[in-house]
Amino acid sequence: MEEIVYIQHTVFPALMQGLGVSILLILPSAICGICLGVVTGTLHVYGSPVTRFMVNGYVLIFRGFPLIIQLYIWYFGLARIGIFLSPYTASVLGFSLCSAAYHSEYIRGALLSIKHGQALAAQALGFTRIQTILFIILPQAMRRALPGCGNEIIYLIKYSSLAYMVTCIELTGKAKILASASFKYIEVFMIVGVIYLFLVTLASSLLSRLEKGWGRCFL
Amino acid sequence: MDPILSVENLYKQFGDRPVLSDVSLSINAGEIKVLIGPSGAGKSTLLQSINYLVPPDSGRILLEGRLVNGADKRALCGYRQQVGMIFQDFNLFDHLNAVSNIEIALIRVKGLHKIAARQRAMAELDRVGLTSHANHYPAELSGGQKQRVSIARALAMDPKIMLLDEPTSALDPELIGEVLSVIGKLGQAGMTMILATHQIAFARNLATEMIFMEAGKIVEQGTPDVILNHACCVRTREFCSSITDLTSNQ
Repeated sequence: MEEIVYIQHTVFPALMQGLGVSILLILPSAICGICLGVVTGTLHVYGSPVTRFMVNGYVLIFRGFPLIIQLYIWYFGLARIGIFLSPYTASVLGFSLCSAAYHSEYIRGALLSIKHGQALAAQALGFTRIQTILFIILPQAMRRALPGCGNEIIYLIKYSSLAYMVTCIELTGKAKILASASFKYIEVFMIVGVIYLFLVTLASSLLSRLEKGWGRCFL
Repeated sequence: MDPILSVENLYKQFGDRPVLSDVSLSINAGEIKVLIGPSGAGKSTLLQSINYLVPPDSGRILLEGRLVNGADKRALCGYRQQVGMIFQDFNLFDHLNAVSNIEIALIRVKGLHKIAARQRAMAELDRVGLTSHANHYPAELSGGQKQRVSIARALAMDPKIMLLDEPTSALDPELIGEVLSVIGKLGQAGMTMILATHQIAFARNLATEMIFMEAGKIVEQGTPDVILNHACCVRTREFCSSITDLTSNQ
């Protein structure tokens, strides 16, 4: 009985607050990550050798460094040289850049899988190179990259929990604080786990709807 | 009369292998030239070189007397709008339905308003008899229907000349007829065309001139009657007799 009251009056409100922060971390990071991933993936395939080299380096570093190290660099590292980011900004920046590096590779693969005939047909109609990429190749590639990119967004939902390591107190951070105070680790973290499970289920059902809606043209 | 399109001394090599050597031809408005020849003769490369999809190594191309400059990207896009291209494997945009396949270039390239583009696209679909399939995606169309949509797409750009690269060779025998009849009507309406095909009987009726190509060279050209029945070159005679035998056996 005492536990139910504790959960209802202490745990639940705090976790809902944390969930709000988590969502505010996940949504902009997912959107920025996808957008930056599309740009870097496209430059990787169609860019000049110099941009290709730069994108390659970017992907190598941001996929290679553990995310937690990247967050530390953005939050603690930059502060050393006088750039002070808020915990929230540092987290969104870190998530977006890391997520984009993975998206970039999914998009690159999808772009390469589009038949050359599509570009030929567009060029034959008088499309410029940029128009061909923008209106013909990318829309088709995005559809093919969607399962991979969706996977990355699901990862993002879960690695958003690292934000509390740079003092951005989101869902996991709130749970850690509650659990340390009450020592009810199992109860609190089980609830948190279920909340993440709910977020992931919601995201995958939205993504699969998007895939189906988008898929009609590829029957 | 000045030719609408002239190709002068075109050369193209892939690696060490010459695929076009010294190809020249010119075509007047309303004429239909048919390219014949074995696979690998350079027919497709010639057609793709004419609109710079495969940029020639050397040679000149003139549209209505004006030299086409392959290095000027903007001018090249303008030139390509005037030269319709039909591919062997249709190359419809897979993410767009039939009517959007036609209107996208009208909107993005010609800068037409959406409503005007839709009207024009529907009119072109009507011309190839596919109004009822306007909302079908390429994956929902038969090969013949796809090729007709791709013809409508090219026609919507008001091309001065059409290049058709074996438009029926990827089709089921049953579906060839519907595409040939669209091409035939186009020819009767006075469209200037260069057509690579193996449909000899069809080409014989349609062509102003036939051009026999082999190993990247034009071996012989002349009226269908001359090429098919009284060719000077032995190789032309061999090729023509083998394909006419084939069609008469069917």
